[in-house]
Amino acid sequence: MFDWPLLQQNAPLLLGALWVTLQVSIAALVFGFVIGIVVGSLRLSPIPLLRRLGGAYIFVFRGIPLLVQLLFIYYFLPRVGLPNVSPTVAAIIGLSLAAGAYIAEIMRGGFLAIPGGQLEAAGLLGMSDAQMLMRIRVPQAVRLTLPALVNEMILLIKASSLVSVVGLADLTRTAQNLAASDYMFVQDYLMLAGFYCLINVPLAYAASLLERSLKERTA
Amino acid sequence: MSLDSVFRRTFNRLSIAAALALLPLAVLPSSAHADQLADVKKAGELVVGTEMQFAPFDFLEAGKQKGLNAELFEALGQEMGVKIKFLDLPWPSVLPGLEAKKFDVVAGPIIVTKARKERYHFVSPIAEATVALLAGAKDDSISKPEDIAGKTVGAGKGSAQLEELKAFAATLPQKVTIREYVDNNQAYADLAAKRIVAVANSLPNISFVAAQKSNLYKVVQPPFGKKSYFAYLGRKDADADSLIAALDAALTKMHDDGRLAALQKKWLGAEMDVPKGDFEPTW
Amino acid sequence: MTFDPSIFTDHLGDIGSGFLVTLGTWSSGVVLGLALGMLIAVAQVFGNRFVRAPLRVFIELIRSTPFLVQLFLVYYGGPSFGISLDPIPAGILGLGVYGSVYFAEIFRTGFESVARGQLEAADCLGITRLQCIWRIQVPQMLVMILPALVNMVTVLCKETAVLSIITIPELTMVLTGIGSETFAFVETLLMLCIGYLILVELCSRLGMLLETRVGRFMSRQPR
Repeated sequence: MFDWPLLQQNAPLLLGALWVTLQVSIAALVFGFVIGIVVGSLRLSPIPLLRRLGGAYIFVFRGIPLLVQLLFIYYFLPRVGLPNVSPTVAAIIGLSLAAGAYIAEIMRGGFLAIPGGQLEAAGLLGMSDAQMLMRIRVPQAVRLTLPALVNEMILLIKASSLVSVVGLADLTRTAQNLAASDYMFVQDYLMLAGFYCLINVPLAYAASLLERSLKERTA
Repeated sequence: MSLDSVFRRTFNRLSIAAALALLPLAVLPSSAHADQLADVKKAGELVVGTEMQFAPFDFLEAGKQKGLNAELFEALGQEMGVKIKFLDLPWPSVLPGLEAKKFDVVAGPIIVTKARKERYHFVSPIAEATVALLAGAKDDSISKPEDIAGKTVGAGKGSAQLEELKAFAATLPQKVTIREYVDNNQAYADLAAKRIVAVANSLPNISFVAAQKSNLYKVVQPPFGKKSYFAYLGRKDADADSLIAALDAALTKMHDDGRLAALQKKWLGAEMDVPKGDFEPTW
Repeated sequence: MTFDPSIFTDHLGDIGSGFLVTLGTWSSGVVLGLALGMLIAVAQVFGNRFVRAPLRVFIELIRSTPFLVQLFLVYYGGPSFGISLDPIPAGILGLGVYGSVYFAEIFRTGFESVARGQLEAADCLGITRLQCIWRIQVPQMLVMILPALVNMVTVLCKETAVLSIITIPELTMVLTGIGSETFAFVETLLMLCIGYLILVELCSRLGMLLETRVGRFMSRQPR
C-alpha cells in the first residue's frame, strides 16, 4: 500500500513546506504576543471604555472561525488600502490577529497572578506605567504563562493549516496538491500528519515539562 | 442572570462588533488605479491566480507546475514582455481574490457564462468546456447522463459545472443528491470510494483523468451540458481593459500561427474549434 | 459596498438548513466528545500502565495534528481501510474524536483536584470505585471544570466551519456557496461572522448561566 519511492520524492517537498508553516506560525506568535500584551492590559485597565474595547476585540477574534477570519481579512485588506500584501503577509496578519485574542486572555491571567505589592513598590520607586509593564509585569507574566504560550504555538501551527485560502502554499496545501497529482491520498495525508507531529509532539512535551517545573517552583 | 439578559447582552456585544467591522467599509473609498497594463509592465510581472488541482490545465508533477496554463501563459508573457508568476489558491478563493486585487488575471480557466460576463472581463476562449460526467470504469448502471437520476453526484464548489449539473438534475424524474467539493480531485477520490456515482466536470478535465486512470474511471458520453468554452479572465474595472486587450492580442496571434492549436493537441488530446474574440455564451 | 438583502432573503431556506446542519453536527460532536473524553479520562486516572501509555500516544497524536488533516484522513482515507462513512457521520466522528482528547484532559484535571482524603474516606465506608467516581468526584469537579468545558464547546462550534471540506452543507459551505453564486463575497462573509458570533456568544452566556445555577445548587447542599 505504501509507495516508498514516492515517499522519498515527496518528503523534501513537504519539508520545504513545513518551513513555510513554521515561518508564518512563529511570526504570528511574535505579533500575536504584542497584540496580546496590549489587549490583555486593556482588559485590566481601570477605564471602563478601554476594558470594553479589549473585551470586544477578544469577543470578535475568538468568536469567528479562523477560516472565516482569513477569508474576510483577505478580501477586506484592499478596502482598507492594502491591496498588494503578499500571501505570506496576509496569512501572518490573519493568524496574528486571532492569536492576539487568545494570548490576551493568557496574559491577563499572568498579570493577575503578580502580587500587587510589587507594583506598589515599583510605583514608590518612581517607575512609570510603561516601565512597570516592560520590566515587572511582562517578564513575570511570561514566566508564569510559558506552558500556555508553548501550547498556543502548537495551536497556531495547527491553525496555519487553513492559510492556503489566502494563497500560501503551506504544509497542508502542498500535501493536498501532491495527493491531487499522485492519487495517493492516504499516504500523502499520513505523511502530512507525521510532519505536524514532528514539530508539535516535542513542543507538547516541552510544555508539560515547563508546567511541571513551574508547579514545583511555586509549590 | 436570566435567560432574557443572556440574549440582550449577546446582541449588545454583537452590535458593537458589527459597527466596528463596518467602519472601514464606510470611510475608505477603494483606491483608483490608472492603467493595469502599465502597472504590470512596470513590475515586469503578470500575477496569475489559479488552482493547481485542475489537470490538464494546472497540476503538479513532482512538485513542479505542469499543464496547458503554464505553457500558454509562458508564451503570452513573451508576447507582452513580462514574466509570469502563478499563485495557487483553493478554487472558492480564486474569484474573490481577483476582486480583492490579489492578482492580475485568473487562469483556471473558467467557463464563460452570461452572469460571469457581466461581472468579469474575459479573454478569448482557449478550449471547449462542455460539461459531462465521469463515472466508475466498471459501473454499468451509468451508461448515459440520465442514469444519475435518484443517485449522488459530485461537482466543484462555486463552479459553473456545478450550476450546469443542478440545472440538468432538475430535468430528471428522480431527485439527484449533489455534493459540493472544494476541489475536483476530492470528488474523483470519492468516486473511486463509490460514495458518489459520478462527477460533473468539463470534458477536457475528465477526459484527462479517465486517460490517466482508465482502470478507475470512464467518461459518460454524450456530454449533458450545453456547448460552452473555457477562458481566462480579469477584472471588469475600466483600468483593467488595457491588460485584457493586450492578452487578447497575444492570444489572437497564437491562434493565427497555430501555437494555441498545438498546445490544445498536446494537453487536451485534440485541436478544438473555439471562437476568436468576443462571443455570446449559451447560458 | 452596497448591501443587497435579497442575497439572503432569496436563499433563506438554504441558510436555515445550513444553520441546522451546523447546530446538529456541533451538538452531536460535543455529546460524542464528552462521552469519549470521560471514558479516556477515567481510563487514564484509574487504569494501569498498559492502558495509559497507548492513550497518551493517542491524545498526543490528536492534539498535534490539525482538525482538517484528521478529517481528511477519516473521510478520504477511511475507504482504503474499508471504512466508508458518509460525510455527516464522518464529520461527527471527526469532531467528537478531536474534542474528546481536550475534554479528557479537562476531566483529568478535575479528577485530580478532588481531595485525596475524600476518596480514602469513601473507600473506608465501603463505597465501590464506580460509585465513588459518579457520586463523589464527578459532581464536585463539574463545578470546577465547567468554564473550561464551555470554552472547548465553543472551540468545537468554530471547528464545524472546516466540515465544508468533506462536502457537509453547513453554514460556511452554504454562505460561501451563495457568495460564489451571487459574487457577493464580502456580504456573505460578514453574515457568516455574525452567525458564528451569535452561536458562540449564546453558548458562552448559557455556560455562565449554568455556572451560577450549579454554583448556587452546590452551596445549598449541606456539607
